Amino acid sequence: MIRSALASFVITAVLLVVVVGIVLVPIAMQMPDPLAVLDMFVLGPFRNPRHTGNIIEMATPGMMCGLAVAIMLRAGMFNLGVEGAFFLGGLATVATVLLVPLPGWAMAPVGLAVGAVVGSSVCAVPGLLRARYDASELVSSLMLNFAALFIGLFIVNYFLRDPTAGAMVSYKIPNDARLPRLVAGTRIHLGTIIAVAGCLLGTVYLFMTRAGFESRIVGLNPAFAAHLGLPIRWILLRSQLIGGLIAAGAGGIEMLGLYQRFSWQGLPGNGWTGVVVAILARDNPILLIPAALFLSYLQVGGDLISRNFDVPSEAVGLIQALVLLVVTSSAIMRNPRLLRFITGRKAAANKTSGPKVAEGSAA
Amino acid sequence: MTNAPLVAFAGISKTYGNGTLALDDVSFSIAGGVIHAICGENGAGKSTLMKILFGLEQPSSGAVLLDGKAVAITSPRVAAGQGIGMVHQHFSLVPSLSVTENIVLGQEPRRGAFIDRAAARQRVVDLAQRYNLLVDPDAVVRTLSVAAQQKVEILKALSRDVRVLILDEPTAVLTPPETDELFERLRDLRAAGLTILFISHKLREVRALASHVTVLRAGRLVGDAPLDAIEDDAIARLVMGQAERPKLKRGGRVSGAATVTLADVSLAARDAADRLHDLDLAIHAGEILGVAGVDGSGQRGLVSVLTGRIQPSAGAIAYDGHSIAGLGTAALRQRGLAHLPADRFHDGGSKRMSLVENAIAGAHRLAAFSSGPFLKRRAMEARTVQMIERYNVRAPGPKAPLAALSGGNAQKLIAAREFATEPRFLIADQPTRGIDVAAAAFLHERLSELAEKGCAVLLITADLDELLALSDRIVVLYAGRIVARMENGPDLTPERLGPSMLGLESAA
Amino acid sequence: MSDIDFVGLLSFVPAILRVTTPILLAALGVLISDRAGVLNIGVEGMMLSGAFVGVVASAATGSAAAGLIGAIIVGGLLGAVLAGAVHILKADLILSGIALNIAAAAGTTLLLFLMTGDKGMSGSLASQVLPKVTIPVIADIPLLGTLLSGHHILTYVAFLAVPGVGIFLTRTPLGLRLRAVGESPESAAIAGINVVRVQVMALIVSGAFVGTGGAFLSMGYVSWFSQDMSAGRGFIALAAEVMGHGSASGTMFASLLLGAAEAIAVALQGRGLPSELMQTVPYIVPVIALVVYARRRQRLLARA
Repeated sequence: MIRSALASFVITAVLLVVVVGIVLVPIAMQMPDPLAVLDMFVLGPFRNPRHTGNIIEMATPGMMCGLAVAIMLRAGMFNLGVEGAFFLGGLATVATVLLVPLPGWAMAPVGLAVGAVVGSSVCAVPGLLRARYDASELVSSLMLNFAALFIGLFIVNYFLRDPTAGAMVSYKIPNDARLPRLVAGTRIHLGTIIAVAGCLLGTVYLFMTRAGFESRIVGLNPAFAAHLGLPIRWILLRSQLIGGLIAAGAGGIEMLGLYQRFSWQGLPGNGWTGVVVAILARDNPILLIPAALFLSYLQVGGDLISRNFDVPSEAVGLIQALVLLVVTSSAIMRNPRLLRFITGRKAAANKTSGPKVAEGSAA
Repeated sequence: MTNAPLVAFAGISKTYGNGTLALDDVSFSIAGGVIHAICGENGAGKSTLMKILFGLEQPSSGAVLLDGKAVAITSPRVAAGQGIGMVHQHFSLVPSLSVTENIVLGQEPRRGAFIDRAAARQRVVDLAQRYNLLVDPDAVVRTLSVAAQQKVEILKALSRDVRVLILDEPTAVLTPPETDELFERLRDLRAAGLTILFISHKLREVRALASHVTVLRAGRLVGDAPLDAIEDDAIARLVMGQAERPKLKRGGRVSGAATVTLADVSLAARDAADRLHDLDLAIHAGEILGVAGVDGSGQRGLVSVLTGRIQPSAGAIAYDGHSIAGLGTAALRQRGLAHLPADRFHDGGSKRMSLVENAIAGAHRLAAFSSGPFLKRRAMEARTVQMIERYNVRAPGPKAPLAALSGGNAQKLIAAREFATEPRFLIADQPTRGIDVAAAAFLHERLSELAEKGCAVLLITADLDELLALSDRIVVLYAGRIVARMENGPDLTPERLGPSMLGLESAA
Repeated sequence: MSDIDFVGLLSFVPAILRVTTPILLAALGVLISDRAGVLNIGVEGMMLSGAFVGVVASAATGSAAAGLIGAIIVGGLLGAVLAGAVHILKADLILSGIALNIAAAAGTTLLLFLMTGDKGMSGSLASQVLPKVTIPVIADIPLLGTLLSGHHILTYVAFLAVPGVGIFLTRTPLGLRLRAVGESPESAAIAGINVVRVQVMALIVSGAFVGTGGAFLSMGYVSWFSQDMSAGRGFIALAAEVMGHGSASGTMFASLLLGAAEAIAVALQGRGLPSELMQTVPYIVPVIALVVYARRRQRLLARA
């Protein structure tokens, strides 16, 4: 068991290096000094504490969006509303702290709570439609992401827009509402601790609570859940409510942790990153933490070469796409020859030493 | 012309990726123009061998020889090219396509770029007439009865100019009269020069139809002889090995009060096979009530309404005299319902979850296994270990996934879970289908034991031997109606059940 | 209703058809993939790639036709890539589609930058547009002319493709095999059909349709490429196909409904209504339609 887990870890690590190389090396070759580009990408993020801090800041929404996706995927729900929930959660948080008169100490908690509830609708509505009418949550959540985007832009334009700012951005977020910074010289904020705690709680929820157990039963085998008489529709809805609250809360935390004003003009893409993080972590909440850190490390490296060498940081999107592809590729991840190569001869010996007669496999 | 046999297996072995050895050095040959039976228990390797002949599986070693020449049958297409056709146990028809479309699929007659629909239809009509297998060429397959679908399946194989026709347990889904008709058609086909490979574990049928028998047990060839040179007892010993199928015989015992009653229950379902019409039935404490019937006679609908999955469209169901209208599965399980589902891996458990999770699921909200929102993982594991021991489940450990268990052991674990609630009403739906003899005997004893403790047991099974061994009373379902009710006794035989199972006779 | 309203409504027809065209082309592509059992979630990325290649290829050759062919080829290639991910790498179909969308969004921006030094728009490329078609006699008939003539060439292609796809699926050997593969791959394999080959082919054809829809975006709707210009239209096409319940004509009606919603949104935008709210309409209508459809199916299941 441990050997195979190790094997899968080793394969994943090697694959990630290969994928980064496949995308990055050709792009670097276009530049006058390819080695400098690669050096900046690979080691640059660690040369400066501020950049290292960037990795942790960026991993924060990655962990939370990944957690939201993982919790819904575990219940068998392909709900892609995380993208819209993150956006709308951030907006509703900012709108609350700007429009509702609140004492300073209450701004962040109330803002985040309102943001989480409002934003979660992007996941919850598809969840409700699925639970109530069996409408595909995949399709309706894809649609509602865009609906959330335009409703959000409407609210910014008509209610929050700072006419003196020049661009379509909100008024400044009051200082009292900002989340406290934790490490001097970086922008690492309280949200990171919330995200890490969230991943730990996610593990507790999925594997140690009745609700998490039930959602995994539904996700792995809905017919079995029906046989047991579990309230499937409620369990599906519950998972998507939890996922939506986490994703939308992540949007609010991102705003209050890092932004001066609400300035998103389009969907920020964190939801899709969350899908990649969750898949890389195999829906295991603890593994979301290293998975999110790795992807944000790539993003910081990408931003660095973009700033210093005029290479668009979009290269990182290609890496993300390839990561998603190879990590879900069972031809690679479950390749018997590859596994044998990594685990040594033992696996091969096991196979020939204990043949047992098939039972039922012939039927 | 040489004397080489039509088909010969030479040292065929098959090891699956997970290390299970399905076939071990099997060699024998099949002469042309005969009906050749291949016998063996479930899991003996019969189906694997036929899949190799039909190109669905590749042997790990050994070769298939056709007319004395080794042929690599790498796909069903290659098999078809060699004149090998197969009628599958689970039909290989596309439900939403018509009979004609299913039969011509893959070798459609064309007119330009299009399918020549008239020619296709004519081809089916001709074929059906030639072999006396009459079906409506325009019917959508989904709407056909199981027996009619089997005819389509045979026609599909015949339309590909076969020399060798493989039938994999073709009678499992048929009533005795339908079986007789099928045998007539198969004899016609043999007379027309076809070689037929007949896979079965029913000796009576083998004796009635075939002229040669090959017996497999646990992946090995254990017998190969002309039928007129071997006695039934000898074949049975080869098939079963040392184990003897234990013969329980219940019947006619005095039962207690009615635990579950159905009064005029009807179900209007989309699928005709699920519909029920005016069912009146009582299942009493302490009895095993057997339900006989061809697959698709309403068993699934009956289970659905009794487990609260679907509300009946008319009539009333009561547990202990109290109506259960509007109650779902969860509420009924609280009132003492337990259910061994027909498809154990589809409904009975989750293959990827551990034995612990499979064994405790459903009971996980009880105080024994949870406190507040949290699960008591240690208590769950301890109880599972107990179940594994008491039910003699052969498993690597309580944390192994259910998928690691054989069918029989998985069924024993599921039974352990369902019986642990000390049910007052148990539905056992095909409780021993496809599992080994020892596990089946074990489950039979547990079912008897439960009834003796006062549980009302509804036994739904296609295995008439099992039905007659366990039931106190028997009802026969046909097309969603109860067409016969009888007390079980020594004089009740499968032959007596046959006519009512096909709806020829109503004794209700 | 007065005559003016009627003429006013009629003037909507070209707008509706214009907005419907890319949705319909992509939705037909999704339909073919779905019937083969390999739902093409990568439709958004394929559309974006088609739009990009249309502009680049037409600018490079100076020929609009070459741009269109380029878009079709890249769509087909991406279909082959998706098929390869599913059949060679054995990756998950939906996740591979999502990966394709992420890669297309990043890749088009990256390539645009490498080619022009510009990240947002292709303004510096002298790309071509595909022509509109005027049908000689019909164009002069008052009402019929507005309805039938003067539309973009790909609009005609899209609507003529509807019966084409329908006949292909129901009347040709390949269409029959494709439906068998989608519904029951094991049965199809037993009937001697190469399931992998049929699915690969379906995804390539699907990609070609979607790529054509993408070409319309950058060579008909407007005359340039901009970052993320597909803006969720691929997903709308997906919704249209789901609403169309697996038939070509159903997909067409659903596409028209969603196209009309978007066209009306665009028209109302000019009348001082908040444009952002109008832009939500094409995304909310499919959700409502999905619910209506799902409810009807539920009732049918409950009743029958």
